[in-house]
Amino acid sequence: MGRSQEKGQGQSPIYNMKLSTVGATRPTETGTTYEPTGLDLAMKLHYLKAAYIYTPEMARDLSVTHVKEAMFKLFDQIAWTTGRLWRRDSGRPYIKCNDCGARFVEGECNFTVEEWLSKPDRSVDEFLVYHQPVGPELPFSPLIYVQMTRFKCRGLAFGLSWANVMGDSFSLLYAFNILAKVLSGEKFYAPETSTTDKRFPNPYPTVKDPKSIKQVDPVGDLWITPNNKKMASYCFNLTVANQITPHFPMNGDDQIPVFEIIAGIIWKNIAKVREDPEPLTVTIIRKDPNDLKPIRSIRNGQMISSVHVDFPVAEASVEELVRCIERATDERCGIDEIGERCDGSLDFVVYGAKLTFVDLSEVDVYEARVMGKSPESVYCNVEGIGEEGLVVVYAAARWEERVVTMTLPEEEIEWIKSEFKKCGLIAP
Amino acid sequence: MSQAPMPDFSSSVKLKYVKLGYQYLVNHFLSLLLIPIMAIIAVELLRMGPEEILNVWNSLHFDIVQVLCSSFLVIFISTVYFMSKPRTVYLVDYSCYKPPVTCRVPFATFMEHSRLILKDSPKSVEFQMRILERSGLGEETCLPPAIHYIPPTPTMDEARSEAQMVIFTAMDDLFKKTDLLPKDIDILIVNCSLFSPTPSLSAMVINKYKLRSNIKSFNLSGMGCSAGLISVDLARDLLQVHPNSNAVIVSTEIITPNYYKGNERAMLLPNCLFRMGSAAILMSNRRSDRWRAKYKLCHLVRTHRGADDKSYYCVYEQEDREGKIGINLSKDLMAIAGEALKANITTIGPLVLPASEQLLFLLSLIGRKIFNLKWKPYIPDFKLAFEHFCIHAGGRAVIDELQKNLQLSGEHVEASRMTLHRFGNTSSSSLWYELCYIESKGRMRRGDRVWQVAFGSGFKCNSAVWKCNRTIKTPKDGPWSDCIDRFWDSFLYGDWEIVFLGFTHHPLISCQLIYSFS
Repeated sequence: MGRSQEKGQGQSPIYNMKLSTVGATRPTETGTTYEPTGLDLAMKLHYLKAAYIYTPEMARDLSVTHVKEAMFKLFDQIAWTTGRLWRRDSGRPYIKCNDCGARFVEGECNFTVEEWLSKPDRSVDEFLVYHQPVGPELPFSPLIYVQMTRFKCRGLAFGLSWANVMGDSFSLLYAFNILAKVLSGEKFYAPETSTTDKRFPNPYPTVKDPKSIKQVDPVGDLWITPNNKKMASYCFNLTVANQITPHFPMNGDDQIPVFEIIAGIIWKNIAKVREDPEPLTVTIIRKDPNDLKPIRSIRNGQMISSVHVDFPVAEASVEELVRCIERATDERCGIDEIGERCDGSLDFVVYGAKLTFVDLSEVDVYEARVMGKSPESVYCNVEGIGEEGLVVVYAAARWEERVVTMTLPEEEIEWIKSEFKKCGLIAP
Repeated sequence: MSQAPMPDFSSSVKLKYVKLGYQYLVNHFLSLLLIPIMAIIAVELLRMGPEEILNVWNSLHFDIVQVLCSSFLVIFISTVYFMSKPRTVYLVDYSCYKPPVTCRVPFATFMEHSRLILKDSPKSVEFQMRILERSGLGEETCLPPAIHYIPPTPTMDEARSEAQMVIFTAMDDLFKKTDLLPKDIDILIVNCSLFSPTPSLSAMVINKYKLRSNIKSFNLSGMGCSAGLISVDLARDLLQVHPNSNAVIVSTEIITPNYYKGNERAMLLPNCLFRMGSAAILMSNRRSDRWRAKYKLCHLVRTHRGADDKSYYCVYEQEDREGKIGINLSKDLMAIAGEALKANITTIGPLVLPASEQLLFLLSLIGRKIFNLKWKPYIPDFKLAFEHFCIHAGGRAVIDELQKNLQLSGEHVEASRMTLHRFGNTSSSSLWYELCYIESKGRMRRGDRVWQVAFGSGFKCNSAVWKCNRTIKTPKDGPWSDCIDRFWDSFLYGDWEIVFLGFTHHPLISCQLIYSFS
């Protein structure tokens, strides 16, 4: 089942899988379409994943029917995401809003929630997310996959796989928050995304040659990132006080830039392992700082910025790297222009074109409360990334912790882990 | 040039008035005859004057015995008449099942699932796509939860749970509408053609609602899409025998166990057309229900063409080459349906048509048969006999054909088309959805006559004639309540192409449905 199995984790612990489809309750008018922007098309080879685990106390009484009903209500608000991709005569993909639906996968697991959560490497949560890429037939490929896994103790896990062409990680997490509200019986109404909302504010001039995007060989209608290296994931927790702040001098009452510090530390360690070529340029993806409103729509609104340094990273101090990261250049306009220009006929990667750091820590993922209780654990990652690798940082269940999911070439992972052990990021 | 259309127009208007005059004359012949007779008597009486009238009265020697005998005779004859009159059977109320929105199957979803399930037979997938496009089904029809899986999981448990879902919901709704207590049900008839477990579905209903131990329950299976009217016929006969009783009829078709898993094209058709649905009906012969009943059953005519081999085999459940069970629909289906309808109409015509139409038909028949005149067979105008038509929503072609041959307007077949569009072919319960549609549109008035006609395997054609007992207010809830506003008054299909069986490449026989004696 896709790349998660290739990540060297052996036989899937999920069995008895059944596939069906969920959609919206009301029919969409014939002829309705959704036009992806240039930025959407540039991100088309990526898929965003999230897995939420709930204990039996919250989830025991949630049957498949309940969940499906809730999903129908959710998709009523965002019916266009249940459409399918078609191509115009020019070859430009668009979404035909034909109510085809999202794929719903039911599965069972022989572990209890406790046993599952006791596994040290949280990337086992990849098994909780059913993933298939878009293609080889675009009109018959769902853009969203939802997996509902029932644990032995009657706990529940929800795994979402979401094609980046529709929207970013923030949109995905927002959509799941709506689902959690609906499951809890709250009424919810999501305002429609107007075309003006889709355009991001552009205070910066267009960057001529954005470094955060890289063209790849044409993939045709099967939207898989062509990689020469096999990638593996590793996920671990960090405590801010013990493992992060020691690396950074405190300047009075300033806010600790936690994400930047984590990114700086990891960048430095990866630079130590990856010598040829050294990663002098990284991509930072985070919530748009100019977007003061909380996320209320499904779109690619994330800020994609690039950082370039001229000095060797492995020897630099974390403080220097943090300062550089804070001065990252917003490259969205450039990427959008590239995407528009080629009309979707060329294929690019953004996540992993350069070593990428994604900051999801501003999103309260534990807000997705079902029956009043937050999830026990949340996992986030991106599928279909480039060879340079990806680091996703997001909030943990305890506010003083962060979770880091790294996806790097398999050959580098063990070296990176040993570097982390040396500097105390992970336990020896 | 502008003068040419005018004479046609005026002559057609004249013809229309002539026709109207003729109809009025023949249909009200007796009343019209009565007027001159009464006029003559009145004139005579006036002429005679009061004294002469008294004299005539006194000349009649009234003997007390004679008077008593004549009055006893009159009372005796009227008693015999009222005792031997068949009991009037009323339809008190009915409710139709509205599937949950989570069971909705848009076209795109159905096609995507087909492609995944039949990935080894792309031709079959293409065939299904063509059938679906021309089927007349809309984007809101529903399939049971088990059929939503890829591949479907039609276990017996799932079939029972679908049966429970559709039947119990409809019955709960019926109890609420009619204030009927489960223990008051005297007769229970459940009809479901293709799912017949042990214990039966009627036993399932009795178990769920704790019905009386002396209830008369029946379970009809295998009787096809016309089984709904067969149940009504059975209920009527039982209500003749049992005084002061009521009968509950449940008409449904359970889709779960009958999803065809093979790829034989003729057998894939039912997968595309049949959808979830059910109806629960309360019938009664009690006098107390007379005031609240919605309809009165006037006639019910059943026609069975099973004696003819071709008719018998045209809808046949069998195994395909791979051993998978499905329902094989023959290419002659439309022609056979036409024959069956012809036979049914021949029987029902004299019962319902006004005298004017019957006279015209008789004259036309005499002219063609006895005098060998080259006249076209006269097709009686059934629009004079009925205000509303409920044609079983078997498929678009069936409705198109009947509309064309009975010369019905778009409004007459609107109920059938809309039911097919919104709910698909729900088999025996479709007639009740159509009736509910007419009521939801606010068109049902007291005295209106409704004709329900259904076809079924065997081959059968059954029709029922109901008369509306009281003007029915637009229902606030029901299967149509949320979407009735979206359906306009004259929903016209532009495409007259009759392609019910998509794999035939020749146009189907434009069957002479009525009175083709040549």
